[in-house]
Amino acid sequence: MNAADDCCLSGVMWPYFPELLAKPVPRYTSFPTAAEFADGVCPSDVFAALEQARGEISLYVHIPFCESICWYCGCNTGAANRRQRLASYLDSLYHEIVMIGSRLPRSASIRHVAFGGGSPNAIAPTDFVRLMDTLTLHFRLTDPVISIELDPRTLNESWGAVMGGIGATRASLGVQTFAPHLQVAIGREQPMKEIARSVALLRKVGIASLNFDLMYGLPGQIMDDLVHTIETTVAMGADRVALFGYAHVPHLIPRQRRIDASALPGQYERFRMAERGYRMFVDQGYQPVGFDHFALPGDALAQASLSGRLHRNFQGFTDDDAPVTIGLGASAISSFPQLIVQNEKNSGRYRMMLSQDQLPVSKGVFRLAGDRLRGRIIERLLCHGQARVDRAILTEVYPGIAPFIEKGLLVAEEGKLVIPPAGLAYARAIASQFDPYRAGSPSRFSSAV
Amino acid sequence: MSFCDTCVVRNSAICAALDASEIGALSTIGRRRTLQPGQSLLWEGEDSILVANVIEGLLKLSTGTEDGREQIVGVVYPSDFIGRPFGSTTAHSVTALTEAKVCVFSRADFDAFAHSHPKLEHKLLERTLAELDRTRRWMLLLGRKNASERIASFLLEIAERMMPQGCGHAPAMQQQQFELPFSRQQIADVLGLTIETVSRQLTKLKAEGIIDLPSRRAVVILDPETLLERAG
Repeated sequence: MNAADDCCLSGVMWPYFPELLAKPVPRYTSFPTAAEFADGVCPSDVFAALEQARGEISLYVHIPFCESICWYCGCNTGAANRRQRLASYLDSLYHEIVMIGSRLPRSASIRHVAFGGGSPNAIAPTDFVRLMDTLTLHFRLTDPVISIELDPRTLNESWGAVMGGIGATRASLGVQTFAPHLQVAIGREQPMKEIARSVALLRKVGIASLNFDLMYGLPGQIMDDLVHTIETTVAMGADRVALFGYAHVPHLIPRQRRIDASALPGQYERFRMAERGYRMFVDQGYQPVGFDHFALPGDALAQASLSGRLHRNFQGFTDDDAPVTIGLGASAISSFPQLIVQNEKNSGRYRMMLSQDQLPVSKGVFRLAGDRLRGRIIERLLCHGQARVDRAILTEVYPGIAPFIEKGLLVAEEGKLVIPPAGLAYARAIASQFDPYRAGSPSRFSSAV
Repeated sequence: MSFCDTCVVRNSAICAALDASEIGALSTIGRRRTLQPGQSLLWEGEDSILVANVIEGLLKLSTGTEDGREQIVGVVYPSDFIGRPFGSTTAHSVTALTEAKVCVFSRADFDAFAHSHPKLEHKLLERTLAELDRTRRWMLLLGRKNASERIASFLLEIAERMMPQGCGHAPAMQQQQFELPFSRQQIADVLGLTIETVSRQLTKLKAEGIIDLPSRRAVVILDPETLLERAG
């Protein structure tokens, strides 16, 4: 590694304190996190929460299928190789949509609909349109913002017609890396030409906000690979970028056993990759969103970041501030002010529960007042790098945050904690000090950077 | 001579994508049904998730709500393809508003057939997108709080569907006359209003010279621009 390369970029180098990053921490896409989900939430709790839903509501729809499954992936997905299996899943999904939609108050207004997976485009284009029709009908959709995660390998003209026809304006492509040898190493081969073609198609049909998911810390990845991928991403005009550190947890995600663990970059290399990525995107004019997301200034996410309206949800950083998110489909998570609940992960059991007219609730957690307070602090720290913290909580967490303060990674001002630029990479580790549940098994979480 | 050869919507329905030999194959998996007003489309047998082509007449599409109420979610006309699956195991049903003739298929059979006939599959996608569009417009219609807006949108919607679409038609320039294929009560049901409100709104539009009602069912749109404004 050439230290001179690092120093000639703008901004301060991120100081490296491995001991402060050693403990794996959650991503805090909710609070309490999924690690706290347990039995004890039942369909009647969900119906009660639906009936009390007020204000704006967001929908999330999960399609747990992929044409081919990448080796690194921790998402809930399965092979899309049998039409009947997909058809059965969709029929169950329609059933869930009818059950949930009928319980929402008529005044409910759906502002965002997001499709994720797996690959939403693993189902047939016509079936996707039918799904959209079902949602439109049972949630009385008029003109929501529609965003879709897409696999560029199976994005064709029919899908372009679908995107345009449903009025989607936001899409996310799983790119990860442009380096062919790395693509082979993670089981996701997609030539640059294919990505470029997908981008052109999506722009043509009206996608105004295009996100690339990228990864660092991949097996065999060196800094130059990341630099090249980032340069290509910028050249292709991605409006948003999510730069994730690969989390190698084969004990949790069996398919990761196919990945050669001996070739994984070490923690110091990962750290410098994250830092390099951050500085490259900032230098190219992207607004940083948290420490590992970036958005062009005109994009809604950048604007939310700049105006203090950023939030965390299960899809990461978002400009969506709806107090209620309804998750539909196997493993989908719904979030209400008083309750978080997750659907059954296994598609077979999901279908079985719905065939018995039962809401496919698996587990969840009730949000207590203390949870909501701490959740807000954690969210503010991750989204905006600062949070007001009252004296009582500050006193309680002080031993945990003191090491960060001592090293200049966190500043305590009057009633407020601020993460300076040098401390960005430690945001999750700092946030976890406010999480009273984190004294659980560390191997459940991903590494802090 | 097969039924399809003499079908009045052979060239405008979704099956227009098929040639003579292909249409023969399709006709073997479809069933023709004639319905009286008020009759719902049902299917005997196991495979009860259906799709259909409308050959003649008008039908309403509805969903049953949890508490047993019916919500009308669309109206279909000749050559429309009802792609939203309906039947005994779905929440949706199809009911004739007038005497109607339809061609019914099991959804699984139709999908499988389309899968091996790319032109039909393409048309199926187009029709499904068109159906989504209708649903979206219908939701907008129902989302209007104002009875006057609903009636106005509804009249415009019917006019558009019932008027023969020439190329480059300019509806704003012509008076449009059509027969409403519904009773006042049916309109009330479709729009979620009372029959009194429907009658009152129609009378009001007539009094203002925006429409004329020469007979019980006939409607003439005298002032399309104002009607468009009223639709919100």
